[in-house]
Amino acid sequence: MKSAIELRDVHKSFGTTKIIFGVSLQIREGERHAIIGPNGAGKSTLFNLISGRYEVSAGRILLHGADITNLQPFEINRKGLSRSFQVTNIFHNMSVYENVRCGVLWPAGYRYSFWHRVGGLRDVRQRAEEVMERIGLARRRNTLAGTLTYAEQRALEIGVTIAGGASVVLLDEPTAGMSRTETAQVVELIRSVTEGRTLVMVEHHMGVVFNLADRISVLVYGELLATGTPEEIRANPAVQEAYLGALHKEAARADGSHA
Amino acid sequence: MTYQPLNLGRWIIWGGAALLFAAAPHLFPGGFALTMLTQMGVMILFALSYNMLLGQGGMLSFGHAVYSGLGAYVTVHALNQIGAGTFYLPVPLLPLVGGIAGLAFGLLFGYVTTKRAGTTFALISLGIGEMVFACVLMFPGFFGGEAGISTNRMVGQPFLGLTFGPGIQVYYLVALWCFLGMAGMFALTQTPLGRMANAVRDNPERAEFVGYNTRHVRFLQLVLSSFFAGVSGALSCINFEIVSAENVSAIRSGGVLLATFIGGVPFFFGPVIGAIVFVFFIVALSGFTKAWLLYLGLFFVLIVVYAPGGIASLILMQFPVIRAGRWRELALPYALAALAGLVALAGLIGLVEMVYRLSDQGVSTVLQLLGMSFDARSAPPWIAFGAILAAGLASLRAAARRVGERWGAIQLELQAQAAA
Ligand SMILES: Nc1ncnc2c1ncn2[C@@H]1O[C@H](COP(=O)(O)OP(=O)(O)OP(=O)(O)O)[C@@H](O)[C@H]1O
Ligand SMILES: [Mg+2]
Repeated sequence: MKSAIELRDVHKSFGTTKIIFGVSLQIREGERHAIIGPNGAGKSTLFNLISGRYEVSAGRILLHGADITNLQPFEINRKGLSRSFQVTNIFHNMSVYENVRCGVLWPAGYRYSFWHRVGGLRDVRQRAEEVMERIGLARRRNTLAGTLTYAEQRALEIGVTIAGGASVVLLDEPTAGMSRTETAQVVELIRSVTEGRTLVMVEHHMGVVFNLADRISVLVYGELLATGTPEEIRANPAVQEAYLGALHKEAARADGSHA
Repeated sequence: MTYQPLNLGRWIIWGGAALLFAAAPHLFPGGFALTMLTQMGVMILFALSYNMLLGQGGMLSFGHAVYSGLGAYVTVHALNQIGAGTFYLPVPLLPLVGGIAGLAFGLLFGYVTTKRAGTTFALISLGIGEMVFACVLMFPGFFGGEAGISTNRMVGQPFLGLTFGPGIQVYYLVALWCFLGMAGMFALTQTPLGRMANAVRDNPERAEFVGYNTRHVRFLQLVLSSFFAGVSGALSCINFEIVSAENVSAIRSGGVLLATFIGGVPFFFGPVIGAIVFVFFIVALSGFTKAWLLYLGLFFVLIVVYAPGGIASLILMQFPVIRAGRWRELALPYALAALAGLVALAGLIGLVEMVYRLSDQGVSTVLQLLGMSFDARSAPPWIAFGAILAAGLASLRAAARRVGERWGAIQLELQAQAAA
C-alpha cells in the first residue's frame, strides 16, 4: 500500500545551522500519526518542509506516492494536503464564515472565478455551514475572526484547515494553551473531522497523543528517535531516556517550584 | 463586534446613486457645476478602480495613472481615426476602447508589478510609472510630446441624436459609464476572486495554504482594475478633448491615492466620497486660491492621522448611534467642535494666504478676505490671524474632548445593551 506521506532522508539547515538531520518516515493512508519531541526539536520545521513553507536542503518528500519536494504551498495544498499552524494564522479581518469559506473555495472548483457570485454558491455555503457547525462556531458566524477568544481562534484554525476536505491533514499543536475541558473538546473535534483521512499532528499533551494516535514518532534534535504504536513508544527505553523521562523530570521540577 | 453585509439597504443605495447621477445637474445648475460634476464622475471611476488594488487587494500602487493615461492615449487616437473616417464606432462606446487598452497594459505591466507584494510592489509600480512617463515624452509621434494630442469628440454621425457637443451630454455619458463601472466593480467584490483578494490582503501566507497563488490573485485583480482605470481615462479624453503626458504622470498617480485615502480605503463607497472632495479641491478651490494644494495636503495629513478609515469611516461610525436614537446627545458637542474648527480654519487660512501674498513677487501684498483687506507687510493681521488660530485650536481641543467623552459613554452603554 502507498504511504500518504513519505519522507526520504530529509535534511534542513538554515544557513550553517542544521535543524533536521536525515529524517525518513512513512505515514500510512488513513492513520493518525503524532510527532512528539522536546521544544526546538524541529517538529514545526518538519511540517514546514512537508507543506512547502520551507525548501528542503536535501532528500525527498512524497504525497500519495507523488514527489512534492519543494513545490509551492498552494501546489501541495491542491494535491490534497492541508495544514494548521502552531501560531494561529487566520484571516483576522474577516468573519468566521468568510474564513471557513476561504478554505472551501479552491477545492470546490471556483478557483479565481470572477464570474460567480460567491453568495449564490450553494455548495460552498453548505460546506462552510457544516464546518462551522463541526467546530462549534456556527453561532459566531458573523464575528470578526480577530475578536474571537483564543480557544475559538484555535478551533477556527482547524476549521479553515479541514474546510477543503483535504485527504491529508497536518495539525501543529492544536491544543496548545488550552484548558483541560477545551482540550477534551478539541480532541473529539479532531477525531471526528479526520475520520477517513490521514492525520499528522504535533502535540505536547501526552494524554492527547496516546488517546488519538495510531502511531507515534519521536523527534529529538532533528533526528527521528523512534516510530511505533503508543505501546511500543511507551516501552522504548531510548525514548524514555531522551524524552519522556525528561518530561517527567520537567514536570517534577515544575511541581516542585509550585510548592 | 459583528460584521453583516447590508443586504436590505443595497437596493436603496444603488437606486439612490442612480437617481443622484440623474439629478445632479439639476441640483447644481450652471456650467461651472457641470464641469465639476463631469470631472467628479471620471474621478469616481478612477478612484474606485484604484481601490480595487489598495483597499481590496492591499496593493499600494504609485503608478495607477499608467493605466488610465495609456487608455486615454489609445482612445484619443481612436477618436481621431473615427474623425478621419478610418473606421466607425459610436462615441458612447469609446470607453470600452480605453478599458481594453488599460486592460492590455495591465496584463503587460501587472505581470511584472504583481510578482511581489507590499513595499516591493509599491516600488515597482513607481518605477513603471516613471518609465511610462519617460516613454511618453520620448515618442512624440504617438504621444504628442509635452503638448499632448488633442481631438474633437463631435465626430461621425450623431448617436441617437447625440452629438456630445454640449457639456450636459458628456456629463450623462460619464454618469452612465461611472454608474456601470461602479456596479461592475461592486459585483467583482462579491466573486471568489474578489473575496480571495481580501484574503490575500489580510494574510497572504494563509491564502497560499488554502490553495491560492497569491501572485495570481494580485495579477488578476490588477488587470481587472486597469480595465476600469482605462475606462476612466477614455472618459477624461472625451471630456477634455486632449491627452498629454500629465495623464500618465506621477502627479495623477499620487492624486488618485490621495482621493481614495481621503474617502476611505476600507469601504467600497469610500473612494466615491474621496473623488468628490478631491475634485472639489482641485476645481473649485484652485479658482480661489493658489494655496489649494497646500490645503489639500493638509487635509490629507489630517485624515491619515485622525481618521485612517477616511471620511467614509467617520460617516459609518455614526450609524449605530443614530440607529440607537442617541445621535441627539452628540449634536451639540459636534456643533461646538465644528464651530471651533471653523474658527481655527479661518485663522489658518488668513496666515496661509498672507504667506502667499508675501511670496507673490510683483503682485499685491494686500489680502482681500470676506470684504476686508489686510496688508501682509504689517504686523496686526499676522497677530490677529495667529490669535484666531490659537483660540480656534484651543477650543477645538476642548470641544473634541467633550465629543470623545460623550461618544465613549454612548459606546459603553450600547455595548452593555448588546451584551445584555
Ligand atoms: N526560519 C528559521 N530560521 C532559522 N532558524 C529556524 C527557523 N525556523 C526554525 N528555526 C530553528 O529550528 C529549530 C527547530 O524549530 P521548530 O519550530 O521546528 O521546533 P519545534 O520542535 O516545533 O519546537 P516547539 O515545540 O517549541 O514548537 C529551532 O532552534 C528554531 O530556532
Ligand atoms: Mg513547533
